Amino acid sequence: MKKPTMFLVVLLLTLAVTVGVFATGKQEKKPASIEFWTTETQSSRVSTIQTLVDIFQGINPEIKISVVPVDENDMPKQVAASSAAGNLPAIAETGSENSIDFGSSGLLDMKEATKIINSIGKSAFYAGPLSMLESPNKGSYYALPYHGWIQGLWYRSDWFKNAGLNPPNTWESIEKAAKTFYKPDKNQYGILVGTKAENYAEQCFTQIAISNKARIFTSDGKLIFNSPAMKEAVQYYAKLAKYNPPGPQTWRARDYYIQQKMAMFFYSTYIMDDLALADVAASSLTAKNFKNLKGASFDSNLVTQTGFAPIITHKQPSSYGVIVALNIFKQKKAADTAAAEKFIKYMYTEDAYVTFLHMAPGGMNPVIKKIAASDKFMNDPKGIFKKYGKKKIQSIIAGLEDIKRFGIVGGKLIPQYGKIFSQKIIPQMIYKITQENADVDKSMSWAEGEMKKIVE
Amino acid sequence: MTVKVPAVRSNRVIVKAHTLRIEEERFGWKLILPSVIIIGSLIIYPIIYNMYLSLFDVKLQGANIYIGLQNYKNVLTDPSFWHAVLTTFIYVIGTTIGTTLIGLGVALVMVKNFPFRSLVRALILLPYIAPVISVVFSWQFFFDPVNGLFMHVTYDMLHLFEKRFSLIGSPQNAVIVAIIFNIWRSFPFSYLMILSRLQSIDNSGYEAAEIDGASSWQKFRYITFPELYFVIGSIVILRVIWNFNKFEDVYLLTDNVKVLSVYTYFKAFTGVMDQGQGAALALIQFLLLIGFILFYVKKVLKW
Repeated sequence: MKKPTMFLVVLLLTLAVTVGVFATGKQEKKPASIEFWTTETQSSRVSTIQTLVDIFQGINPEIKISVVPVDENDMPKQVAASSAAGNLPAIAETGSENSIDFGSSGLLDMKEATKIINSIGKSAFYAGPLSMLESPNKGSYYALPYHGWIQGLWYRSDWFKNAGLNPPNTWESIEKAAKTFYKPDKNQYGILVGTKAENYAEQCFTQIAISNKARIFTSDGKLIFNSPAMKEAVQYYAKLAKYNPPGPQTWRARDYYIQQKMAMFFYSTYIMDDLALADVAASSLTAKNFKNLKGASFDSNLVTQTGFAPIITHKQPSSYGVIVALNIFKQKKAADTAAAEKFIKYMYTEDAYVTFLHMAPGGMNPVIKKIAASDKFMNDPKGIFKKYGKKKIQSIIAGLEDIKRFGIVGGKLIPQYGKIFSQKIIPQMIYKITQENADVDKSMSWAEGEMKKIVE
Repeated sequence: MTVKVPAVRSNRVIVKAHTLRIEEERFGWKLILPSVIIIGSLIIYPIIYNMYLSLFDVKLQGANIYIGLQNYKNVLTDPSFWHAVLTTFIYVIGTTIGTTLIGLGVALVMVKNFPFRSLVRALILLPYIAPVISVVFSWQFFFDPVNGLFMHVTYDMLHLFEKRFSLIGSPQNAVIVAIIFNIWRSFPFSYLMILSRLQSIDNSGYEAAEIDGASSWQKFRYITFPELYFVIGSIVILRVIWNFNKFEDVYLLTDNVKVLSVYTYFKAFTGVMDQGQGAALALIQFLLLIGFILFYVKKVLKW
């Protein structure tokens, strides 16, 4: 063999061995490109999440994560469409009902979720949120609880006091107050309950229905929606809706409260920053745009004039809340699942977790006990927690332990409810009754018929 | 004396001409092939796939189940479908008449000379060129029952109504608002088309009519209108096609107006997500539109 040829062969062999060695080294860190769908669609929240992702990618250069904001109302159909196209994201942040829906449809990698929960330690989580995501096969979880909020009636405590009314925590006190403060000729309204066919309507209705012991399922999964107790709750809800601002309404109408045109409204603890911060409220619907209109000015004392009634009592006390979970979808490549696992574990580290929760102080509450107790969490950048005080914040977080949902009966989870929620059957029924003046019995029969299609 | 062309040579000429024609045909096919592929994959394939889907109970997870014409039967026996058809007809007729008449009226004014005519002509185009989402939000603010300017003026200042109400949100009024919104947004298109035709009408006809003592109406009826007949005919057919399939204007403004496109969307992508019925609905909508176009082209445009 000639010298140059010999040299070339040796060079090629050396290169092959070197590349082989590096390639073997790289096998430990397989490149992965995954999508993270989030329901936090506001631009400021998207940029915070993007910052968290950028830091993660800096530490793990072999993993690329695309953040995709998806409206919470669109999440079920987006997931269904991407599932049909064989193009599911690796991770999605959704409410627990959606997680149960996706999990019972076989889209979620429950083994992976359970593995991560066990590696973090079950005892590290609050038991309530964790149990909301536990599948009927005990010890297996649909998704990982990440944060949560509770709902209640936020009300003008000073108005109530002046009118000699009790806080709105029973059916009677709510109706009486709604009636008292309903003055449409003065452009003032008694209450806000959801009447548009969106998730918000179901959130308001659930708390009222459960307080009347009305359920959709028995603990063994039998459909019992069209019951006298449910009818009573629907009729009561329709009565309250008469004291709403005109037209079909959804959560957006909470701005009328900030503008002092409404006495009370159902809302989650997400409202806390809007009530506490003038600058947050100023970015709201109309305070700035219509400053010449009567009552449009923002009252910076609103936070002290606002009371919160998280529990409604009729036949039984009822509280409502949502646990937001991180879902891991089944992936075609093992490297993508491994990347999702790594990212989720990172999202539970104290710095990343607290940064995420501080996007909406009061709205996003931790499900990890250690984080809830930490000073870092209590020290939010806007100083909102200080305005409310540690005690109130801790009581809100503690409320996550005892939230009641249609999908959990007697401590047992009913997976079919996830689909009923995703398909907005109850909000559609409420819309028919309150906006189209449809008959209550007929609308309830329609809703039960739709539910039967899912259950059977 | 006739010159005989040898048979072999004549055959060669025929063969050559034949080959040339085949080559030209092939070349022609090569030229249009990219368009055929694009149209086939983006238009023909989805239509055929839609027809195929309409025969199935579509499962988003798992295999589809063949059910024959059941989806069509379900659609045609559903009263809400016929309600959607009626709403669509009201919407299409209202918007088509509105946009055409207002477009015609504005064009007749804009063809005259007056100060700042160019500026006014440009301003008229604003609703048409503004992004639909920003325009929709403006309308929603305008008609907001609690803070909107509409209620402020009509209720607070003029006391025209007994109480505040949501004009856009109410299921009874929403279709009227959707029609007014579309007329406002789309009339500049009709105006532009009619104006361009008006400007090219020869003035001598009007001068002759004036000498004969014709009134303004007679000049419009016997000179302007015949000149505009086919432009207006084309505007009407285009507006019908566009508004029959209109989705974004209606859906973004209010989800209360269930025209066929919105109804199909709700069937296919919300609730029980019946995509088989959604496909059947899309095909029925297509057939209804084709039927109208054939009738219109033959009877009105007389092509």
